[in-house]
Amino acid sequence: MSFQKRLTSGEFVVLAEMNTPKGVDISELVTNARRIKGRVDAVIVPDMDNGIMRMSALAGGVLMHQQGVESIIHVYCRDRNRMALQGDILAAHVLGIQNLVVVHSEEMAKGDHRDAKLVDDLDELDLLGAIQSLQNGVDMAGFDLSGSPSFTVGCTMAPSADNAAFEKELSLARKKIEAGVQFIITPPVYDLNRFSAALDAFKKLGVPIIPTVFLIKSVGIARYISTYEPGAHISEDLIKRIRKASDTEMECLRIAGETVAGLKEVAQGVHIITLGWEYRLPKILDYAGI
Amino acid sequence: MITAERKPMEELIECLRPYNRILLVGCNECVTVCSAGGRKEVGILSSALQMAFMKEGKTLEVKEMTLERQCDPEYVEELVIQIDQVEAVMSMACGCGVQEIARRFKTKPVFPAVNTEFMGASERPGVWVERCQGCGDCVLGLTGGICPIARCSKRLLNGPCGGSTNGKCEVDPDIECAWQLIWDRLKALGLEDRYEENIAAKDWRTGRGGGPRKIIREDLVK
Repeated sequence: MSFQKRLTSGEFVVLAEMNTPKGVDISELVTNARRIKGRVDAVIVPDMDNGIMRMSALAGGVLMHQQGVESIIHVYCRDRNRMALQGDILAAHVLGIQNLVVVHSEEMAKGDHRDAKLVDDLDELDLLGAIQSLQNGVDMAGFDLSGSPSFTVGCTMAPSADNAAFEKELSLARKKIEAGVQFIITPPVYDLNRFSAALDAFKKLGVPIIPTVFLIKSVGIARYISTYEPGAHISEDLIKRIRKASDTEMECLRIAGETVAGLKEVAQGVHIITLGWEYRLPKILDYAGI
Repeated sequence: MITAERKPMEELIECLRPYNRILLVGCNECVTVCSAGGRKEVGILSSALQMAFMKEGKTLEVKEMTLERQCDPEYVEELVIQIDQVEAVMSMACGCGVQEIARRFKTKPVFPAVNTEFMGASERPGVWVERCQGCGDCVLGLTGGICPIARCSKRLLNGPCGGSTNGKCEVDPDIECAWQLIWDRLKALGLEDRYEENIAAKDWRTGRGGGPRKIIREDLVK
C-alpha cells in the first residue's frame, strides 16, 4: 500500500530519512535502501540537509524509486527561485516521486558554502501555493500546463522551547494546512509523556501528525541536544541510561526502537532520523517490533 | 543617496481612512534631494490628503513636521511634542526613517508614504539611477569605477553576457550594458589587461547573504 493510501486510511506509517552523498558514490545509499525495503513505507530524502552541498534530493528520490522504495523529497526556498522550484517539482512527478515535504531552509551561515548567495524568492507558504497551483494545471505565472503533477504534500514543524512558541508553530501549521498540507512531521520526541500532552492540540489540526525519532548515538550527543535545543526535553534519566549501558550503541538503538513503539500507540506515524547510521535502521525497527 | 518615490494616493488614503488626526513627517536628507519626501513634498501631500478626504465629507487634521534626519534617534525625538496629539504617523522618509519612528513610538501606528527604491545618483534633473547595492565588498577598484553588481542586470562579475548589443542590455534597450561601460572605462585608463583577469566568485556574506548587517565602530560606541 502506498504512503498516501496508508495515510488516508489511518494506518501507521514508518518513514526513514536517508541523505544523498556528497559526491557521486551512491553505493551506501542504495545498500541502505535495500536493507529497509518492505519495512518502511517511504524514505525521506532531505535536500542539502543542514546547508551541506550534496547530490540533490530529486536524484535521491529517483534512486529510491529505482530500488522499489517509495520516497518523499524535501523542497525548500533558499537555493532556487520560483522557476527552478516549479521545474524540479514537475520533474519529480515525471520521475516517479509521489510525495513532497516543504521544509524550512537552514541558514547559509551554518552550511558549508557560507559565501553563497541566498535566493529566497518564495517562502514556505508561497511554495505550498505553487505546488497546489501546479497540481491544478497552472503555473505561478498563470499559464496552463500540459499535464499536471500530483503529490501528497507535507510540511515540518520546528521545535518549540515554550508554550508561546508552540502556539506560534500551531498557527503556522494551520496556515500551511490551508495551503494544502496533508501531513505534518513534528520535531524529535525524547519524552513520550510530553508528546502525549500535546496530542489534543495536534489532533485539532485535522491532518496526520508524524513525530520524529532522532537516534541519539552517545551521551555527548544527548548532552549537546539537551543544552542547545531547549525544546528537546531530554531527561537526565535518559542520559543516565545511555551512560550506564554496557553497550552504548545497542542501548541507543533500543531507546530509539522503544520510542517508535511508544509512538505507534499515539501517533499516525514516525519519522526516523539516524544521521549516518542508516545501516542501523533494521535494528531500530526490530526493537520497535516493526 | 537613498532614492524614493511617493506611493499612489489611493494607497495612502486607504491606510489613513481609520484616522482623523495624523502627523505627516518629512526628512531633510536623501528624500529631499530626490524630491520625494522633503518639506515641500510634505506640504503638497498634506493638502492633497485633506482635499481627498474632504471630497468624501471627512475632515483629516494633518500636522506637518520635517526632521533633519529621520534615521537618527536624536532628531526623531523631536516628534515627542506632537505624537500624543495624533492617532497615526505617516512618514515620507525612506524605510530607515519609518522604522526609526516605529521603534521610538511603539504604540503609534506609522505608515510609509514613499516606496524606497535604491542607492543612486542624479543623472540629470529629475532622473535618478541605481549605482550601488551595498554588497559590503566593493569591487569598483577592479572594474574602472563602474559597478557590475548594481548596473549589470545579471550582476555578472565577469561579463558581458551574450545579450549585450551595441552597448545596450538585452533586458531593456534603455539600460546601458555595464560591461561595455567597464570596457570603455578600462580602455580610457589604459588598463585593458585588467579586463582579462577573472574576478573570483563573490562572497555574498558581506551583503544580505549574511542576514541583516550592522556596523560597530568601537571608538565611537558610548
